[in-house]
Amino acid sequence: MVIYLKAGGELRSKLQPDVDHFTRRVETEAGKPLSDILIGIGISPAFVAFAFKDGQLKRLDYTPSEGDIITLQPPVSGG
Amino acid sequence: MRIKVNRDKCTGCRLCLQICTIEHFREINPKKAALRVEAKFPDPGKYRPFVCTQCGKCEEVCPEGAISRVASGAYIVDKDKCTNCGECVPACPVGVVFRHPDHDFVIICDFCMLCTELCNTGALVKWERAASQEAKEA
Amino acid sequence: MANGLAGTTLRINLNTGDIRRLPTDEVLYRRWHGGRGITAKILYDEVPRDADPLGPKNIFIVNAGIMSGCYIPAGSKVEFGSVSPLTNGPGDSNMGGHLGPTLKFAGYDLIIFEGVSPKPVYLFIDNETIELRDASGYWGLKSLDCEKKLKDDLGEDFEIATIGPAGENGILFSCITHDFGRQAGRTGQGAVMGSKKLKAIAVRGNKSIQVKDLDSLEKQVTGIILRTQKHPNMVPWQKYGTAFFIQWSNANAVIPAYNFQTTFYEDIDKIDGDQLVEKCLITDKACFGCWMNCGKYTKAVIPGKPEVHLEGPEYETGSLCGSNLGMKDINHVAYINWLLDNLGLDSMSGGGVIAFAMECFQRGLIKEQDLEGHTLKWGSVDDVEHFLDMVAHRRGVGDWFAGGTKRAAAKIGRGSEKFAMQVKGQEMSGYDGRWAPGMLLSYMTADIGAHHNRSWTITVDMAEGRERVEGRAKIVVYLQHIRPLFDTWCICRLFWGELDITPEEIVESLNHITGWGISVDQALRTSEMIWNLNRCHYMERNRDNGRAFDYPPARAWEDKIPSGPGKGKGLSLAQIDQMLDEYYAARGWDKKGNPTRELLQDLGIDYAADNLEKLGFLGEPIPGGIPPVRGEKYKPKAF
Repeated sequence: MVIYLKAGGELRSKLQPDVDHFTRRVETEAGKPLSDILIGIGISPAFVAFAFKDGQLKRLDYTPSEGDIITLQPPVSGG
Repeated sequence: MRIKVNRDKCTGCRLCLQICTIEHFREINPKKAALRVEAKFPDPGKYRPFVCTQCGKCEEVCPEGAISRVASGAYIVDKDKCTNCGECVPACPVGVVFRHPDHDFVIICDFCMLCTELCNTGALVKWERAASQEAKEA
Repeated sequence: MANGLAGTTLRINLNTGDIRRLPTDEVLYRRWHGGRGITAKILYDEVPRDADPLGPKNIFIVNAGIMSGCYIPAGSKVEFGSVSPLTNGPGDSNMGGHLGPTLKFAGYDLIIFEGVSPKPVYLFIDNETIELRDASGYWGLKSLDCEKKLKDDLGEDFEIATIGPAGENGILFSCITHDFGRQAGRTGQGAVMGSKKLKAIAVRGNKSIQVKDLDSLEKQVTGIILRTQKHPNMVPWQKYGTAFFIQWSNANAVIPAYNFQTTFYEDIDKIDGDQLVEKCLITDKACFGCWMNCGKYTKAVIPGKPEVHLEGPEYETGSLCGSNLGMKDINHVAYINWLLDNLGLDSMSGGGVIAFAMECFQRGLIKEQDLEGHTLKWGSVDDVEHFLDMVAHRRGVGDWFAGGTKRAAAKIGRGSEKFAMQVKGQEMSGYDGRWAPGMLLSYMTADIGAHHNRSWTITVDMAEGRERVEGRAKIVVYLQHIRPLFDTWCICRLFWGELDITPEEIVESLNHITGWGISVDQALRTSEMIWNLNRCHYMERNRDNGRAFDYPPARAWEDKIPSGPGKGKGLSLAQIDQMLDEYYAARGWDKKGNPTRELLQDLGIDYAADNLEKLGFLGEPIPGGIPPVRGEKYKPKAF
């Protein structure tokens, strides 16, 4: 199946977008959690603060479905 | 053309006020903007933007005939005719006719729409209405 | 003036009530860039070294900065400065909201308060009208209540900064509050305001700010706005603000829990960003000119207590008053945040102080009879409410904690110094540095004590090895130059990391505003100059300065992390010393941590070298000379 990952900042260079400036098309097996998918494309899940899909925060154990567009948020200092 | 206000989406950033005065006066000064944002804190904790609704009250009360409607629907102030008498200020039901000590004319929105382009939350949205309806109202 | 400045500086003598209007010194701005820079310079030049931070010889500075109010990404900050009662060194703290820009719209760049008012006053500014008005009707009011009353009395369009009872009572970690939830919390600026009997500042203005090249600025900034509106990080940030970060911090073993005893919190799901948005959110709230609206205006609802409205909790308060206090409900965290805001206490140091007191209670170092019959148990919001009331009014043992954790530990003794989680008197931010060595070094060496905003390295630590300390110092030095630049220009830092607005773009905006034509490297050099001037100032005020004052509390090396993903991790004292050695070398300081003449000369602040030499604190010359460039920009390796 195919999902789309989006990222900005330092994560963007790691993601290597190919669809547009921020987005990468990723082919993956169905049923895999997001953390495994990230490892599969060379991104350590530790550098993703959380994923964001359809206006909702998702943990990295979230299992994407076909066509999902998921934004990866990098960690930053807050406050 | 009008501006639709989604008041629950306003976050009080006042970017609209800044771009308004940059566009019209080439200065940064929110007090010269042709719209306003009301902040109600701590209770209930809401922002509310107010923009021109093109009701025409300002034109009605203007003793000098300095305010007139143009094709876009906006009410435009003729700066030469305006005496800054202030009749239109309290006449405006939403409080978006402004005076500023630097100027001898009143400030009314000309619907340049820059505020809607910069508003990032959808609180101010460009609102194109059918030409027939605009014509009927005008 | 067509250079981003409003044009007028105010000097207000609170002893006499005399208000002097002076033209703003453009040359001083050009050299020190305003904000944190101007503050550092004025404090260095004007405050006698023996002045009590809460006495009449300290000065209190309000600075609206060079970029504030200038159609710039989040150009909203206002910087407060004075010698900090917490650290006894130069202190500064800033906040967003609308006060800084409004001060410039009223025509003023800089306000310097001297002396102490004989009676409570507030500063009233309505364009040309400047008055020190009687504040007896406001003295004693809580921060948010006072702001409301001033708005009711003066008008909605006044922007107001207030202190609460804590500031009035000289609690050293008191904050300044504005816009019903924006705080300048750190370094005890609220206590200094209180010591001067200055309850509030209320400003309204209708003037224009002129910049050098508005056409170029408008073109550039509008382009940035339209570009960043489509940035993938925008929507998550608008929705959660910084609160999303709590889960990550927990998953990666940096969140403080139970007064930094561990870095894993089992009930994190009850206090995270999702909970905040779901249970507490009223509206998103932005600072002046910011289209990212990370502020969350919220309510806290607890059965048996009144519903309260506040802004936050953001990440720092959410961790320091959440996991660090063992809170198990986001409403409780928000309620504590409100208590601290309304009393006028910094919610970061406040969280640190409460957590320290809770651990003292856990270990039997303070008991129920010390707490007027109350307990102080992890997770109890009622206990916290009672304890804070004791602290803010200096009742009983509350008085011990009024000086922050360092002074409280000195009173309590019996080994409590080890877990007073502070450096130089200022409490740590919401990150544990035991498995993030660069972060620990950042706390140790920051000019205002343990604060994350000077340098934050956790992702660097993770990429470079969390148990490795080599090479971390140079990166910390670089970050300590670039991050404070945002405070120097009085703009918000979050756009830089979040929305890919580069330092080069920000300096380009600065040049459009001022016409200075400077580069990022030149700006970094200015920042280094400010850093070193503050170090010298700190040393001149504190005779026992140097290495001893750059150490963290002993928990940082004596206790390994006891639970969670970081279990068993920790640093040794030898590693901490190694980092300090590398850091001093990277800065061009000697082995004791004293700046050398060669460095201070290179930065153009020879007078600071002369002053250090007189006191015998000038660094020994470094064999082979100082590094030609101090600090090293971090280039991320593969994750």
